[in-house]
Amino acid sequence: MKTTVTIPKNRNRRSLSKTDRFTLTAFVGIPSLLQIILLWIPAVVTVILSFTYWNGINIKDIHWAGIQNYKNIFVNNPIFYQALKNNGIWLAFFLLVATPLGVLLAYQIDRGIKGHAFFESIYYLPVVLSLAVIGIIWNFMFQPGGFVQGIMGRDLAHALSIWGNPSINTWVILGVASWRHIGYIMLLYLSGLKSVDPALKEAAAIDGATEWEIFRKIILPTMQPVNIIILVITLIESLRAFDLVYIIYGSPTVFPLLNLLVFQNFAGQGISMKGAAYAVILLLLCIIPIITYLRVVFKEDLK
Amino acid sequence: MSEEKNVLSRRTVLKGAAIGGAGLAAGGALSAGTATSARAAGADIHWTTRGGGDTGDKIAKAVNDAFTAKTGTKVIAQQVNSDDFQNNFAQIMQGSPDDAFGWMAGWRSNHYGEAGLLADVTAQNKALTSLPASAVQAATNPVDKKQYIIPTTYYPWGLHYRKSMVKKIGMNPEKIQHWDDLIKMMTLTKKNGLVAYAMGDKQGWEAMGTFDILNARVNGYKYHIDLLNGRAKWTDAKTKETFKYFAQLIPFMNPNFMDIDWDGCRDLLLQKMCGAMMMGSWFANDFKAKSQADYNDLWVVPFPEINKAHGIDTIDAPLDGISVAAHGKNVEGGKALAQFWGSKEGINAAIGAGDTNIYVSKDFDSSGYDAFGKQKLAVLGSAKNIMFFADRDSRGDFAGPILGPALQSFMKNPKNVNKILENTQAQWEALPKN
Repeated sequence: MKTTVTIPKNRNRRSLSKTDRFTLTAFVGIPSLLQIILLWIPAVVTVILSFTYWNGINIKDIHWAGIQNYKNIFVNNPIFYQALKNNGIWLAFFLLVATPLGVLLAYQIDRGIKGHAFFESIYYLPVVLSLAVIGIIWNFMFQPGGFVQGIMGRDLAHALSIWGNPSINTWVILGVASWRHIGYIMLLYLSGLKSVDPALKEAAAIDGATEWEIFRKIILPTMQPVNIIILVITLIESLRAFDLVYIIYGSPTVFPLLNLLVFQNFAGQGISMKGAAYAVILLLLCIIPIITYLRVVFKEDLK
Repeated sequence: MSEEKNVLSRRTVLKGAAIGGAGLAAGGALSAGTATSARAAGADIHWTTRGGGDTGDKIAKAVNDAFTAKTGTKVIAQQVNSDDFQNNFAQIMQGSPDDAFGWMAGWRSNHYGEAGLLADVTAQNKALTSLPASAVQAATNPVDKKQYIIPTTYYPWGLHYRKSMVKKIGMNPEKIQHWDDLIKMMTLTKKNGLVAYAMGDKQGWEAMGTFDILNARVNGYKYHIDLLNGRAKWTDAKTKETFKYFAQLIPFMNPNFMDIDWDGCRDLLLQKMCGAMMMGSWFANDFKAKSQADYNDLWVVPFPEINKAHGIDTIDAPLDGISVAAHGKNVEGGKALAQFWGSKEGINAAIGAGDTNIYVSKDFDSSGYDAFGKQKLAVLGSAKNIMFFADRDSRGDFAGPILGPALQSFMKNPKNVNKILENTQAQWEALPKN
């Protein structure tokens, strides 16, 4: 067994021609280099800057702040906790409602329910719009003087407070964000489902499995790679949320999100390295769960 | 979309105008610049028009052409999006900036000037003898005593309302002078089922106008500026007193104030849905655009007196002007052009091209002003202390990220005022000292 494995390996290595080696170097090397220059170096610099005071103008003005920026974020800074809460709700809602709905839709459409092509198109439609455009559309609907307010017969002075009303704006925003997210997940899952061998389902059905059992015991496990992708996407989409809310409010403070705080404190007039510290917090929130999850999953696969 | 939003934003509206504006006057215009303009004549000068659309371009062209006609130096102008220019200002100034551009007095010129990005234009301001001392003083950085901007235009923040509506509730529109008058006016307006005090604070800066003026009326100009610069405390009893007055206004506001911007407030007044609106006077042209009757109905007075000791001696009147990039290719040329924008010839060229701004220079001729324009001048003239608005009187990493949200949470929950002020003070103290 061992020999059979090593021999082809050696042969493979030797068989790399000059062109192959060049291609390989180019294909792996250039993206890696770009990744390092455009992503990792700035990331490391951001981490370093988060421990400094700097107004972003002259390099010589940078001085060490120790953990002061982080202290300023965690202490006496209610907006950080509001942002954390909003991002948390966003994540929970996407994980528990929007993503499962997308999966469910994909499953139903794949089963070929009546009018599946119709449903497929209407749920897919929002996906082609960027979140910025979606923000413009729904802001136009709900803002005072907007379409929905007009239908309800409410003029500017009596317009319902929607975006500025803390008891409902979270849910309206999540609804709007889900409008797109559901279609996106549906699409990803659907493409995965198409590759599931129908024979598996048929066999299970003949053995007397219910729909739910087929979904849980056959589809979900076969779809493991896609599951990982949509989980990671859901996580990242929730934590990096920015454009939709920025377009609707034009400011980071009515419905704060971590990314909005990064922006407000890292660009323009409000620049301070507190913005870098926010960015580092966000980075850690994004990568720790993802790396942990991926390690667990891949370990299982190796077994 | 951000483009679209910017078009509506206060900054674009007035900056655009300001750009156009730019000029203060000196009788002999370039007398101080003669030595420099000889040198400048060789190289082109680059000019940035900060927003303002077609009117902004037209005004810039008129002034720059007049400069070229006078000195023989070509001026190459470009227009940029005002908010983008402002947000990337430090980067632009460190790259290859245009030599001169419209800019804003206060923290925004002092801070970048101190950082070495703007050229010292003290000599140019000195040569512009028609500049009133107060404007020059206002353009002087209190830290290093240098001037990084040539002051040109300003506009008043005042209490706006429609004369007809005030008459209808049985009050004299010329006589809204004291806090009690305002309360009475708001009470009567509210009784008629209208919004008594229009407020829109979706963007987070709008309510600063109300806060500024309340604090100046209650505690005076000096205390206000001290507070915004850390020499007084947010937790002081005096500050809390200001917020007591602020809290009295909240029941009179439209409940959807977190949903609308400043232009929502303007529309409330335009559509006769609100009584009073505290705002900068830049929007009057929108009334004119609707109809002359609407424009004639519009009125502005200084925010009413609260504390006799301070009367109505203070006003928010953000001052704009022309700055020169320290790292431009033609700094001397930039200075000469900036000075020209501030001169009588520059002002006249701008006004001839449709500029409706109020210039601080004594060379500015306001005789052609209509009643509302004259009233704006009267409102400006009633004050002896000029504030530049909280986001220019205070440091940038405080006003937007800390004060803005604090005012928003106060208006949502006025009962939490003590906690909010404690947080604000704690966040001020946590800022880096520089």
